Amino acid sequence: MTTDLAILLVSAVLVAGVYATMSYGLALIFGVMKVINLSHAGAVMLGAYIAYVLIVGLRMNPFIATVLVVPPLFFLLGVLLERVFVRPVRKAPPIASLLLLFGVWLMMQNIAYIIWTGEVRTITTPYTMMRFKVGEVPINVNRLAVFLVGAITLLLLHQFMTRTYLGKAIRATAQDSTAAKLAGINTDQIDMVAFGLGTALAGMAGALTSLIYAFDPNFGGSYMLKSFCIVVLGGVESFLGVALGSLILALAEALSVLWIRAGMQDFVSFVVLIVALLVTPGGLPGLLQKRYAVRPR
Amino acid sequence: MRAARILVFLGVLILLVLIPVVGRGTYFQHLGFLTFLFIILSVGWNLVGGYAGQVSFGHVVFFGIGAYTTAILWLRGIPQLLTIPLAGIVAALYGLLWGWPCLRLRGPYFSIATIGVGEATRLLALNLENLTGGAGGLTLPTPEDIHFYLAGFYYLAFLLMVGSLLISAWVRNSRFGLGLFAIRMDEDAAEALGVHAFRYKILALLLSGFLVGLAGSLYAQYILYIDPGTVFGFSMSVNMILMPIIGGIGTLWGPVLGAVIFTVIQDRIMTLSLNLWGFSFKLVQFHLLVYGALLVLIILFEPRGLVGLAERVHRRISRWRQARAVIETAG
Amino acid sequence: MGVILEGKGVTKYFGGLAAVHNVDFQVQEGEIFGLIGPNGAGKTTLFRTIAGIYAPTSGRIFFRGQDITGLKPYVICRLGITTTHQVVRPFLEMSVLENVMVGASFGREWVTGETRDVRKEAMRVLEFTGLASKADVLARNLTLPDRKRLEIARALATRPTVLLLDEVVAGLNPTETLQTMQLIREIRDQGITIVMVEHVMQAVMGISDRIMVLNYGEKIAEGSPQEVATNPQVISAYLGTSHAL
Repeated sequence: MTTDLAILLVSAVLVAGVYATMSYGLALIFGVMKVINLSHAGAVMLGAYIAYVLIVGLRMNPFIATVLVVPPLFFLLGVLLERVFVRPVRKAPPIASLLLLFGVWLMMQNIAYIIWTGEVRTITTPYTMMRFKVGEVPINVNRLAVFLVGAITLLLLHQFMTRTYLGKAIRATAQDSTAAKLAGINTDQIDMVAFGLGTALAGMAGALTSLIYAFDPNFGGSYMLKSFCIVVLGGVESFLGVALGSLILALAEALSVLWIRAGMQDFVSFVVLIVALLVTPGGLPGLLQKRYAVRPR
Repeated sequence: MRAARILVFLGVLILLVLIPVVGRGTYFQHLGFLTFLFIILSVGWNLVGGYAGQVSFGHVVFFGIGAYTTAILWLRGIPQLLTIPLAGIVAALYGLLWGWPCLRLRGPYFSIATIGVGEATRLLALNLENLTGGAGGLTLPTPEDIHFYLAGFYYLAFLLMVGSLLISAWVRNSRFGLGLFAIRMDEDAAEALGVHAFRYKILALLLSGFLVGLAGSLYAQYILYIDPGTVFGFSMSVNMILMPIIGGIGTLWGPVLGAVIFTVIQDRIMTLSLNLWGFSFKLVQFHLLVYGALLVLIILFEPRGLVGLAERVHRRISRWRQARAVIETAG
Repeated sequence: MGVILEGKGVTKYFGGLAAVHNVDFQVQEGEIFGLIGPNGAGKTTLFRTIAGIYAPTSGRIFFRGQDITGLKPYVICRLGITTTHQVVRPFLEMSVLENVMVGASFGREWVTGETRDVRKEAMRVLEFTGLASKADVLARNLTLPDRKRLEIARALATRPTVLLLDEVVAGLNPTETLQTMQLIREIRDQGITIVMVEHVMQAVMGISDRIMVLNYGEKIAEGSPQEVATNPQVISAYLGTSHAL
């Protein structure tokens, strides 16, 4: 019995890693620009396909492809998207950018469909089937690697946000864009960088996940919904909050298998999303803040 | 000018009424039926998304609930036509269920929540097999005189379409509609003036859900087969957003225009292919691209859709006419 | 004539910060009641608490003796208290007339039996406030002074018993300020009680019957304009202690 539980928990933690990596990009863009990036799913999906081209087509090392090649490519994509699509509607009501980026997502899906058809793809590497055991619990090397990359990303992001000038400028813009402008920060450029970075993270997440799961042009949609859930739970102030939210969601989904059938797991994330939206305007960190009436930072 | 417009209008009306008579069971009748349905969907969505400004990405739930209510009740022996108003009512009540928590959310948060509602409902339909027949869906009994039956539903859809337009027009000119427009533009300012925003939003959702539910009911009775993928699919929600946006969100005729154009495009896309550079492209591959590009172009350049475009052109023309008149009197 | 609006011990905390602390006030029916204080004194917070946008952390607010503490904004408007906004919020895609029609269609509950022609009511208000010639202009095309005027007109259309004006002359030049002050007097002459938050001293001093002064969320003075103007605590709050001596 405990072995089963241990397997469940380990699996949940590894899945949480995937969810978290998926969600950083969304959180960043929303935190800085207050824009809900519906093309996020498209970037994730394209990340998977680009990884496919690199690893299967060009026989590139999976690690190099997903971590070193995909992110810079998608950074450029993100910058392009921001300049062409998002910039013109910054002043319009938020629903405009929501619908616009949704349209971009639709286009991305179709482009993938045209180039690669609707066939379901998988990427198999020497690592795909490797596993080892910790006690009685089997751990798949691939999933562990993805989890580790996600964790390292979190660390690097944290360092970037707190130690570098650019990172601090991004945080400043996220907290108060007017004050940031007054402090001399070029918020237009920051927006561009944030969107680029967010898209890069999404692409990388897609590339990493393509090593574990099969994908087709519809890939990314259900993850995006979970990411919304996570971002709302974890708040947009910190990546740590995102990681925490991912863990909560993954655990909720894993434990829910005990009561409802496997096909309904996504249902859990939707319910959590709705509840999260209603209950936590600032994510869990915001809720805690309210509860303890701490002086506003 | 006025007389000509009325004549054209009546002409179109007569044409529509005659189609089943002239072309029994033809392609045009089917296309007509679908167009009427899509107009109802589009007008229904517009009440919430256009008038009240609450953009719902999950409106398909009303369509599916309406379809399944009719199917389930009919299969259990309830008289077929009676299931129609029941479908609308059940759909509206479902709207009350999820609208009560979700309409407390503002703007994009509401929209995100509706995506969740749509998908959650689809999963429910997929998994509550005893009630809904699961992934296999429900098949409804074929009637004896199929042509007469389908023609009848053609007219029913036509009547419901007219009804939904009348309702939309009535809302526009009522105190209720004024409140909805105010809510769309600035919910807090509206509240400060005495508008009970939450109640109005719920009412709009109920009305919208009722209409879309009716459409779902008709769909089930015409196609005689429903499954979760079709009647609860996300793509239907997307279509319900696209149509009013293309035509002109928040206007009276915009959703109608958008629905007509959309149905035509859908139809053409499914069958046409393009011959370029020696390759033959089947257009159906591009439909997401087309819709995505339309959405992007409209939001970037003419957010008020075709109606907005028409108004702009109209203004240009009248300004040009004014300028000409001035020149002529001066010269 | 009696007390129409009253607050007892009104307190509003945001996190650990008291924006308004233990404020008592009484507004007499038919008067113009001014609310002043340095920036951040809590004036707008107090306003918003009365209007129902915030619920007070503690304390009570009464309207004609009825406890209205914590009621929602639309309820408070229906009872007869209407607020204007510091940063004006017209319905941009509607015309001036339509904006005012929203106020006329909603607002204070109609006494059963009164017939209403919303359009006529709206036009009447537009004429009263001098906006009749701009009735069909889209609100987004109005200048700031006209937008401020529209904000007042729209609020008037709700048939308020008490009108809360939040910095209605901010950003106006002296001529426009005088015109607005005259309009406010005319509104009061119609029997509407007015509570106004203001920074522009000439406006509020010249027009108010009584004034209350807030500083750091607390009431530091209350009385006639002359009394308040010569109150040393008030002077030091605005200019620093050295000037009071």
